[in-house]
Amino acid sequence: MYKNFKLSDLMLDNYRNKFIPLILPICIIIVWYLITEGLGMVNPYILPGPITVCQSAWSLILSGKLLTNTLDTLYKVFGGLILASIVAIPLGILLGWYKTLEDIATLVISVLRPIPPVAWIPFSILWFGIGMFPAVFIIFMGCVFPILVYTIDGVKRTDKVLIESAQTLGASDWNVLKRVILPSAVPYVVSGLKVGIGIALMCTISAEMVGSSSGLGYMILTATSLFDPGTTVVGMLDIGLIGIIFDYIFTKAQDRIFW
Amino acid sequence: MSIEIKNINKSFKSKKTDQLSVLENINLTIEDGELVCLLGPSGCGKTTLLRLIAGLDQPTSGEIVANGEVVKKPSGDRAVIFQQYSLFPWLTVLQNVTFGLEMTKKGSKEENIAAAERYLTSVGLIDFKDSYPHELSGGMKQRVAIIRSLLNHSPILLMDEPFSALDMQNRHKLQEQLIGVWKRFENTIVFVTHDVDEAVYLADKIVILDKNPGRIANIVDVDIERPRKRESEEFIALQEAIVKDLDMGD
Repeated sequence: MYKNFKLSDLMLDNYRNKFIPLILPICIIIVWYLITEGLGMVNPYILPGPITVCQSAWSLILSGKLLTNTLDTLYKVFGGLILASIVAIPLGILLGWYKTLEDIATLVISVLRPIPPVAWIPFSILWFGIGMFPAVFIIFMGCVFPILVYTIDGVKRTDKVLIESAQTLGASDWNVLKRVILPSAVPYVVSGLKVGIGIALMCTISAEMVGSSSGLGYMILTATSLFDPGTTVVGMLDIGLIGIIFDYIFTKAQDRIFW
Repeated sequence: MSIEIKNINKSFKSKKTDQLSVLENINLTIEDGELVCLLGPSGCGKTTLLRLIAGLDQPTSGEIVANGEVVKKPSGDRAVIFQQYSLFPWLTVLQNVTFGLEMTKKGSKEENIAAAERYLTSVGLIDFKDSYPHELSGGMKQRVAIIRSLLNHSPILLMDEPFSALDMQNRHKLQEQLIGVWKRFENTIVFVTHDVDEAVYLADKIVILDKNPGRIANIVDVDIERPRKRESEEFIALQEAIVKDLDMGD
């Protein structure tokens, strides 16, 4: 009897947990519909209604534009992120391990890190022209520091007792690095990548708005100047959706790695 | 393997005073195969002394000679079992246990796994060989840590209050098992503890340390026959004598 009770309680809980996050979006859509298409309180050029947005989305899907632009943006995001990882992860391990190297690098990192990636746009155009490369460069500049700083942190936070255990089990310095410090830094590196990918998405859109002729940022900007606000909103929601998916993937990955 | 501790001094730099002396003029010889307990109140430098023997820290002056060689850095010959749990969280129990063998490249992979499984069986942990450390209880973790060192054939085991986080029942069980493996493998064991009962139960020789600064106050030979019984008269008498000794130091 009691067991049944508990079970149904649990099911209700589960149901509630899935339902609660949906309440607010549904309310927003209803209010959105009412003030735009429902009651006509706002000019559609100022804010398009949900139905207009759905129509825009549908035609963008049919024409294949949504897919090509999304893929285009994703290529740049991954290009920049992978380049940033190739540089930042080994460098972070080195700086985390050798205190002197970190001391040498710390001032440069501290000065470069707070510069917003978009501030590199002028140089990126000068150096790489227009197209894929300047965007990849800006994304690189955006991701490289969070990944670097998280990696350094991960290496430094390796539990001292684990390092000493390995040493007293006969591990050489190289093995301590490879078998103890690296695995123990992995969760931090993953966190760095998670932060990096969020920044990468933001950078991509900004980069595409300036020096690009493709991608979601480009699509958003051109749609606005063509008085097609529906497409703008579709582009924005698409970015949000990509963000959610990445977040989900990385959170799952973290669940698997964090012991 | 014997250990000779010669005129060891160890001081740390502190903010208040220039130098904080932790160990002063320690001289001690630990014979091959001996089980020695370092006993003393917290802050007496017993863990520091253990770390010096391990080579994890360096003495300010003096030297430690293990098996004819001056200790300069950590080595697989002197395994440390720490008070904190020290298993690698990303490795399974079996992988943890064979870690040292991989590092020192002793034996083939199959041999190592077979040996690890034999050891795990002997302490009743074979069913957990594919578990991760976070799935084990505190007592199990320490048993795996001990197995990890034993399997590596470290002739010297340095143990820093390894059972202090366990409840009494588990602690007594692990003490008994430790005596079992020590007799079988004839390791030299240096065991740090603040627990008089533990020291009297385990040790051939109890080294009592004083604090401020840490120095050897007394060395007590324990001649009680093993297996020792906690309720026997000689056990209780020795325990009381040592407690009195410790109180005088305060």
